[in-house]
Amino acid sequence: MDRRTFLSYPAAAAMTATAYGALAGVADNAAAATRHAPVDFKSNVPAKGSFPARWICGSPSCMDNMDPPVHVHWYDPHTAILRQNKCYSFEAPFAPLYFGNDRVLLLDEGFVQLRNDWDLRGVVDKCIEQWCARNGRDPASLELLVAFSHLHADHYAATNQFADRPRTRYMGLTHEEMLGFWGMKNFPEERVTLDLGGRDILIWGSPGHVVSEFAYYDSYTQILYTGDMFYRGRCYISFWDVWFASMKRLIDFCDTHPVAHVMGCHVEMSKDGEDYAYGMTYQPDEAPVQMTVQQLRDTFAFAKTITKPGIYFTGTVFLCNQTRGTTTIDKNPYRYD
Amino acid sequence: MAGASTYNAALSGNVQSATGRAYPNGNPDLPWNPPAVRHTDSAIPLHRARPVTHDYACDGPAPGNLAFRWTYGSNIAAKNRDPRVQIVQYNEDSFVLRQNVCVHWEAPFTYLLFGNKGALLIDTGATAAADLYPLRTTVDAIIARWAQARGRKKVPLTIALTSGEDIAQNQGLVQFAGRPDTVIVPKPLALMKSFYGLRDNWPTGTGTIDLGDRVIEVMPTPGTHKDGVSFYDPYCDLLFTGDFLFPGRINIGNDHDFVRSLERIAAFASSRPVKWILGGHIEMMFAPGRYYPRFATYKPYERILQIEPALIDEVLRCAREIQGKDMMLIRGDFVLYNGVSPDQRTSDFPADLPNLNPPRPF
Repeated sequence: MDRRTFLSYPAAAAMTATAYGALAGVADNAAAATRHAPVDFKSNVPAKGSFPARWICGSPSCMDNMDPPVHVHWYDPHTAILRQNKCYSFEAPFAPLYFGNDRVLLLDEGFVQLRNDWDLRGVVDKCIEQWCARNGRDPASLELLVAFSHLHADHYAATNQFADRPRTRYMGLTHEEMLGFWGMKNFPEERVTLDLGGRDILIWGSPGHVVSEFAYYDSYTQILYTGDMFYRGRCYISFWDVWFASMKRLIDFCDTHPVAHVMGCHVEMSKDGEDYAYGMTYQPDEAPVQMTVQQLRDTFAFAKTITKPGIYFTGTVFLCNQTRGTTTIDKNPYRYD
Repeated sequence: MAGASTYNAALSGNVQSATGRAYPNGNPDLPWNPPAVRHTDSAIPLHRARPVTHDYACDGPAPGNLAFRWTYGSNIAAKNRDPRVQIVQYNEDSFVLRQNVCVHWEAPFTYLLFGNKGALLIDTGATAAADLYPLRTTVDAIIARWAQARGRKKVPLTIALTSGEDIAQNQGLVQFAGRPDTVIVPKPLALMKSFYGLRDNWPTGTGTIDLGDRVIEVMPTPGTHKDGVSFYDPYCDLLFTGDFLFPGRINIGNDHDFVRSLERIAAFASSRPVKWILGGHIEMMFAPGRYYPRFATYKPYERILQIEPALIDEVLRCAREIQGKDMMLIRGDFVLYNGVSPDQRTSDFPADLPNLNPPRPF
């Protein structure tokens, strides 16, 4: 199967394709000796999991930061959520790592390119090793999918660290390659299912912040990952109508599917709704990354009232409607008459 | 020539030997030496019986330079291992200190000037914690070393701020609480005016801080801060302007005051020699009109710190242009923000400047 053929296949469908079956069979045989009973991702959903009370959130002096470069939090035994240290990059994106019986999905790769500077690859490898040790698997038998929520550098910068990793596929950096990676033909409406091996990830288009963005729903933890189009901070909306339609799709999805948490890629505000300005490297009183479906619904209701470009605080997030060039939440504190 | 009676180091092959020369430290009268070089410590005797008294009267600016590159942070701020305080010696009696960009993104400059009777510290940095930013320790070390070289027991220190309210410059002040032989210019505006004797003629008057034959002049320059002052050093002919005038994003606090202060500074610079203006930060890149965003912890392509006094006219012209308007204005060596957020952006790039894209660190 050449790359072009792969691009035209949804990853889930490819599992049953005969051409692919032969390839997958090799790995299955190799792992068969050590393989334990597969993890059951279908019953007892949503999986019980928890977010940390506090993520690492930078420090007053960056060079004195002693936190790990990546905060690894195991939401449940089969789901890790990674966060970049704010003193390694102010963007500090979150990155879920979903484990299935056959595959592992990494969503988003932080804002530092070089492994020398920020070893995301090493951290992910370690997580996979830990999971395999717990579940009696051979790490070499698992395929790693390196994907990202949308086409911005703070979400794909470290992708190249995985370039020489065996049994790894990574998403290309164009809109067409991104769609092809998930085998989508009708973006953004089409919803595809990625089978990680008993664990289904539903993926569909969610543009508005940028053209090329996806929403990811994990059927096991029932976490809806909304990328940069909806997160606890400044949602920079480049295309309002497109974003509004994407919000409508998210709401429709929540109407028909159980959603435990809605989760964005960043946190840029405090618990009290105070804005942490763009570029800050210390957020001591951060809001939690996870949101409820109700917060999503409230934001959508709020968005219905917005007709003009500007910055709107909905109580949950800041909606920056077409303001990217003139983002002006904070004021000069030294103004006087 | 066989019977040469004296040892000549140069003839013996030791051409670098200082003892063979009439002026071991260089002849101060040679034409390439600026007139004031005779006042530098290279001309003082090596072993002295009394404290050295320096002659600060000189024709033209005292020699000095800023020949080192400033530390500029690192791509991975957490991995930065530069000194927390960078010290650059401008000349024997003037020091420039910079806070590490990865301790605080404002990376303010702090100036330490010495005279025959005392020292002056202008500004105190953006971090209060002494373990993160050991300003007091550093200043104490410089003063101790300077005192030893000059044969002094005590060097009284005055600490003044270009603005008492500016948290990028006043945070280190707490480290000096209780320091002996130290005078701290009070931060509240009314007390500060009285200290400088400017209570009745703010902002048009001029105060002084006498360091002993080196009298620093204090000029009110409100505009970015309502308690802003600038300091003029007639020895080095340097003007220390803090947040009021620096190669970066100047956030105007009150445009009327800003224009009036610039007019006074322009008049001052045309009547007195000013070699350079040294501000409190650098935020511009070396490419004209390009600047680092707030909170940047990696600034490898910074513009130099010093500003030529001719730039005052340009700042004044631009300040008049935007007075009364809420807008930002980009020029080659500075950006003015009037009534807008410090995060404001604009697509108006000045047409008369080359629109260069400096390399991005990423």
